[in-house]
Amino acid sequence: MSKANLSQDARMLSAVISGQRGQFKSMADAWITTGAKSFSVWAEGAQLAAWPKGVDGIKPSMRAPIRLNGGDVGELWVEGIGTPAAEKTLIAEAGFVSRLARMEKELMGMTERLIDTQDQLLAVYGLTEATRNHLEMDDLMVQLAEKSTELIACEGAFLLFKESTNNFKIKHHPATLLDDELIQSCLDKVSETKSELLLNLDETEYSRAGLRNLLFMPIIIRDEVSAALGLVNKKDGDFLFPDIRLARVIAEHTGSRMEHLILFQESIEKSKLQVEADLAQKVQLRLLPKKFPKVEGIDLWAGSEPASQVGGDFYAFVSNPSRPFTFCVGDVSGKGMPAALLMAMCRTVMRTKTNVTPTPTPEVIMDECNSELYDDFTEVSMFATVFVGQFHKEDRKLMYANAGHSPVIYCPFDGQPVLLEADGTALGVLPESLAEDQALHFRKGDVLVVATDGFSEASNHDDELFGYDRLLKVIKMLSKKPARDIFEGLYETISNFSAGRPQDDDQTMIVLKGI
Amino acid sequence: MEIKSHEAGDIIVMELEGRFDAYSAPKANEWLEEVMTNRKPPNIIVNLENVVFVDSTALATLVQAMKRCRQLDGDLRLSNLKQPVRMIFELTRLDRAFEIFNLEEEAVGAFSA
Repeated sequence: MSKANLSQDARMLSAVISGQRGQFKSMADAWITTGAKSFSVWAEGAQLAAWPKGVDGIKPSMRAPIRLNGGDVGELWVEGIGTPAAEKTLIAEAGFVSRLARMEKELMGMTERLIDTQDQLLAVYGLTEATRNHLEMDDLMVQLAEKSTELIACEGAFLLFKESTNNFKIKHHPATLLDDELIQSCLDKVSETKSELLLNLDETEYSRAGLRNLLFMPIIIRDEVSAALGLVNKKDGDFLFPDIRLARVIAEHTGSRMEHLILFQESIEKSKLQVEADLAQKVQLRLLPKKFPKVEGIDLWAGSEPASQVGGDFYAFVSNPSRPFTFCVGDVSGKGMPAALLMAMCRTVMRTKTNVTPTPTPEVIMDECNSELYDDFTEVSMFATVFVGQFHKEDRKLMYANAGHSPVIYCPFDGQPVLLEADGTALGVLPESLAEDQALHFRKGDVLVVATDGFSEASNHDDELFGYDRLLKVIKMLSKKPARDIFEGLYETISNFSAGRPQDDDQTMIVLKGI
Repeated sequence: MEIKSHEAGDIIVMELEGRFDAYSAPKANEWLEEVMTNRKPPNIIVNLENVVFVDSTALATLVQAMKRCRQLDGDLRLSNLKQPVRMIFELTRLDRAFEIFNLEEEAVGAFSA
């Protein structure tokens, strides 16, 4: 056999000899010095090399096999010596050559993989360049389908993107080669296995339409199969391992491009929402009075701090010369925008009812409000705890009705603070409000604090609640001060208590002091 | 929060465990919605023995379900409230809106009465 017809392994052995000629020459010299006539290397009946130069070496007295991957790839031959000791040496040398051959083979494999990887990197670079400027999912999908057809050398490709659990959209290139039914069944399969699916379509109904094979590659976004790449009819044959590997790389790249696009679109949506929320916050802040009415016999202060951008707490004053001074504090269940919308409605209805009802006692206002808003509250599954108070300056009577609201604390100037508990359920819970009019004599020096549960339920680092006992103590301690100082003192005490913990709930408070 | 349930005749008992708040309320709401859609009339007892905390979203979820049940000629009743949870129902006076029982068996008995 001539050298030109040698197998790949034998040619590799030949390459090992060329690369390590010095080593082989040393071995040959050693044999010849000890009396051998020749030393040669053979593979598949052909002489790969022989020493001394020009010798045919075809009558060996000893032969030792060179092995590679469990098979013989060639032999070392020696002429003229045949002692058992010499035979042992030759076997050892053949072993050494086997190791050289194995290393050479590994090196060749690594080189091939490197070239492969390099090709893939270049391909992906091209893909990245091509898809870089697409900000619309449809454009990106079209571009990816086109590029994948080119890179994998197949007749067509498609990109699928799941818009929701049951809906997906598909972009084909250059034309629709597969029906949605087959695509859906492939998607179902890969959604479970999360690995590629290779289908041979010969001898199926699809072969009539000219379809031979399909490589279906899942694209994983945020840990779920949210998209897929399909490659149809590999040119000149089947999809082989390098195609699958390249398709995996494309799928990975596509997944990350799609995820970026989703994030980008989400961030646009978010910034739109943010603008709306900013606007809502402005509206809401205007609803909460910053200037307080001057009321004869009362020193007054109020404020509200929402936990998120917009809150569900509210307070309002109605100071109408023909009616007693009326105020309210409310807390709509839940947080954020829905609570804020209901809060605005609640506040408006409260004010209107107070202004137009013939005898607007707190109980009447509360009942009217509940009737007006009950259906709306039911519709959105919410309710609001509300406290309505009314100060009659003539006889210093403070009337109030409490629909599930707490904490409300009354601190007489000459006694201990007490909690004014609710008798009615929150507005929106039952068709009729159960809150009834209550009254107390509000003397000079008496204090009334109407807060929301964001105060009593503020918690510290040990998850301990501020609670009513502390609230009562602090109010007693501050009760000799003006309304504003009581308000600020309470805020400060509670914010020190929760020291740096994010505020969980809206905090709203009105402080009234008899003067 | 964990949701378990068992049946007592025509009544279904929902057992909740842990914190019942804005995070766990949607799960409870989904469960209640399903029961209210499939049971006629929906007679539900929510056993709160292992609930350590309720917030206003949780209360709103229960109120909403109670209103729906009553519309559908059923009811949603509460049992086995722990002291801190009972206090919240008392402060908000939701104890005037719900039928609240010390023990689940009493709630079951009241349904058949």
